[in-house]
Amino acid sequence: MTAVISATHLSKYYGHVLGLDDVSLEIEAGITGLLGPNGAGKSTFMKLATGQMKPNLGAVAIRGRRVWNAPEIFRIVGFCSEPDAFYEDMTGFEFLAGLLRFYGFSRKEIGERAARALDIVELTKDKDRLIRGYSRGMRQRVKFAQAIAHDPEILILDEPLSGLDPLGKRKLIKLIRGFKDEGRTVLVSSHVLPEIEALTSRVALIHQGKVLAEGDVPYIRELIEAHPHQISVRSSDPRALAARFVGDPSILRMTFGGDGRTLVVETRKRDVFFGRLAPAVLEAGIEVEEISSPDDNLEAVFKYLVGK
Amino acid sequence: MRTGAAVREIFGFFFGLGRRTGRARTFTLIGLVPVALAVAARAFYHGRTGDMVAVSTEILMVIFLQFYIVLVTLFYGTSVTAEETENRTLAYLLTRPVPKTAIILGKFSAAAALTSAMVALGLGVSYFILNAGQMGDLAVYATFLRYLGVLVLGILAYTAFFTFLGTILKRAIILGLVFGFGWETAIQYFPGSTQRFSIVHYLKSLLPYQPGRGGGRGVALLLFRLEPTSPLLAVIALVAITAVFLALACVIFRAKEYLAED
Repeated sequence: MTAVISATHLSKYYGHVLGLDDVSLEIEAGITGLLGPNGAGKSTFMKLATGQMKPNLGAVAIRGRRVWNAPEIFRIVGFCSEPDAFYEDMTGFEFLAGLLRFYGFSRKEIGERAARALDIVELTKDKDRLIRGYSRGMRQRVKFAQAIAHDPEILILDEPLSGLDPLGKRKLIKLIRGFKDEGRTVLVSSHVLPEIEALTSRVALIHQGKVLAEGDVPYIRELIEAHPHQISVRSSDPRALAARFVGDPSILRMTFGGDGRTLVVETRKRDVFFGRLAPAVLEAGIEVEEISSPDDNLEAVFKYLVGK
Repeated sequence: MRTGAAVREIFGFFFGLGRRTGRARTFTLIGLVPVALAVAARAFYHGRTGDMVAVSTEILMVIFLQFYIVLVTLFYGTSVTAEETENRTLAYLLTRPVPKTAIILGKFSAAAALTSAMVALGLGVSYFILNAGQMGDLAVYATFLRYLGVLVLGILAYTAFFTFLGTILKRAIILGLVFGFGWETAIQYFPGSTQRFSIVHYLKSLLPYQPGRGGGRGVALLLFRLEPTSPLLAVIALVAITAVFLALACVIFRAKEYLAED
């Protein structure tokens, strides 16, 4: 399959700070997820892919055409940026209609397209309200609407689901999947694996400016599962609790926290551990104050992958 | 989209948006302060005309020329790029099929049109209040148009210069203040051709009163040492200043990347 968006040895530095380091990616038609913790380089990649920034090294092209200073490419590209930023003194309709003016559409077509896009994101009844009065979810939806209003064949979406409530997320996920079904290309970023998982099975993992892995979500899941989990249990008697798990094959290591009340357990079989924890606590009569999983987030998984 | 059409659309977008901002309301109100002065002066003269009115009109012009247009163009000119990066809205413009040059030219045109409208309103109301006793004299209207023309040329030149500053500097407003209220004021008192390194010199060269040609008695201090350039050369200089700084702003904006402060 031919790449729609291709990045070749792409590097970007902010002064001495590394933004992106020698990234090569081929994005094909369908949905591709860019997954990584905050500050991983996802937005940098998207800004480079949309010509907002110039690479220090390497190149990024859409349909074979380099994007820096190539505005015509945006007839076929829609971009939804991550920041919650708007021309606040405009209504939702004016915002969309105003941006649609830059495509050379007729006045009538501008009105129709703006109305259609607002209808898709269910903002029709709020179209004449100033954006400054919109809720976070509405703002996120109007931002998405401006990306699709000109009917682009390629959509680049930077954290489009952030700020949406669960219902809003579900609706937007359905909408994005609909674009894929129409044969379009969608590049979407997120720091939340389940969000990406709901959208696509094709993922690129990005961390500290590097692409760590590419592949299907099950493969990424496997990588994550292989990573030992840390579980922290704060209780009235951590030593008694530890005694219950001595010799348990699901435990790799146990340490005590500096506060004298915390037991930190390292395990590859999190579910097995949790299954045994409840009876152990009950049998020993230990009062559990808090159970947390300090590394149960992408950041920790990525750190692990980097060190692998 | 072709550059010309894109400039027109960007102008329309930002002119419409600019009219309803708090900044536009604030600067329009500041522009109306001379109206209060004109009303006070008018009440003081008790309907008399002649020299006192002429002097007041010249003072009014000085307020607009050396304070108001510098202030208003400083804020509007530097904001052509700065407000997009500070408000993180630049992505909406850069991801449209419009040349970067058109973004600068369109936003510049919108800023210049808005500030010209503010100046026309403030100057028009205060000028005609001051000259209310001579409304039958056609020369009053001709002088008004001349004043307005000078101010519009000033707005274009200053806005272009401040737009240029905004494209190269993150905190352009500070240097703009130093230029607009430091350099532009101080250099008028320098002898010889040094004065020509300012925008205000060419604007003053276009005013109807000149040292040695009569008039301007009330503002003699402000015209001190003015060694005027001929009106034709002054207009050419102002147009050239506008064109050069706009061109530089376009070139820089096209080559530079603008990063929001995350």
